[in-house]
Amino acid sequence: MAVGPEVYRAVGESDELSSGDVAFLSLARTRLVGESPPGETYDPLGRIPAYPRPALLALPHGREVAVDAMFGLVVTHSCEIDRQKNLDASADHFDCRLTVAPIVPEPAVHLVGSNGDDQTVSWAAIEANEPVASLFLPPIADVSVLASGVDALPWPRSFADLRGLVTVSRSMVEADRLFGLAPDYLGTLQRQLARFFTWRDLARHELVEALVGRRVVDAIPLNARGDRLRVALTTDDGSSVTVELRVR
Amino acid sequence: MTRLAIILHERNLTYTAVATRAHLQPRTVRQLATGETPIDNVAVGTVRRIASALSVPVTAILEPDLPHPGDATLSRAARLSAAIRELMWSGAPVAYASPVDSAEVDDIATLPADEFFADMPAIDGSRA
Repeated sequence: MAVGPEVYRAVGESDELSSGDVAFLSLARTRLVGESPPGETYDPLGRIPAYPRPALLALPHGREVAVDAMFGLVVTHSCEIDRQKNLDASADHFDCRLTVAPIVPEPAVHLVGSNGDDQTVSWAAIEANEPVASLFLPPIADVSVLASGVDALPWPRSFADLRGLVTVSRSMVEADRLFGLAPDYLGTLQRQLARFFTWRDLARHELVEALVGRRVVDAIPLNARGDRLRVALTTDDGSSVTVELRVR
Repeated sequence: MTRLAIILHERNLTYTAVATRAHLQPRTVRQLATGETPIDNVAVGTVRRIASALSVPVTAILEPDLPHPGDATLSRAARLSAAIRELMWSGAPVAYASPVDSAEVDDIATLPADEFFADMPAIDGSRA
């Protein structure tokens, strides 16, 4: 299990932005009026978590914007943050948006499973970073050790929830940064991001899993775009899946 | 815990008892007391009726204003301290969909990042 001193690093006000920065932010979500959370049934792959006490801005036609003031973790990869700089673009042309994941503290929630069951035990799995959708953030006894000037307060056990990714202004992140993730733990963040986007958005995990141990008997190229090639694979039991390959 | 829940607890009052006095549904009082419905999101009249039923000023059951990112009336350190205090620790716990969606753990969940990305080609940070 990751522990505080291995996970965090201090961040100065003038330090450059980085993935892994933790900041106090306004996170906005558009939704149908009163939709909290969307959908009537539990869907671990598609459900958007609801956050407590949003401020609401009414929109026409039964829509609204829910704005939550909460801590968020910057997950935009460093190379994306630095990209314009690396291309010698002026600061005016830097990306103005960063992708952040809301941070969910243990004292503010009780975790609920698919059947409405209390999932207190889930924290053991979250601590081990087993779910693809979360990055565990261990407790800190005294935040002022990492953020000078801030009161000597403890930071509770929490997790960054990748299901709630939103984009925010980079200036907002700069204004209210608290601390950042240590380089070693950034690797774990990147691993979780790769798992999250592969398992949830790009791959049909259950289809891929069903092919494990089967022999591929046919591979039919479908189409190519750029350096990507889509191929339909058929296995010896007749099942098939389409995969996308990158041509080196 | 919400301010309303604290008052109900201190006075040993049930949701139904308050709802009856305030001419509201017990469910409405429960949702406000548990924080499931933020008290800022209901009609002023509803808040007034509950406050009246409890013989307290309206302000006694309103939740304190949360700190706001970028609030220029506070220093950065004061803003962040208030945010940790109010957002990370206080408030009634609300139901939240667990990120744990499977009893089975995939093998790569425990791989160190170095091994996970071992075969990944180096990224050119200056790519166009």
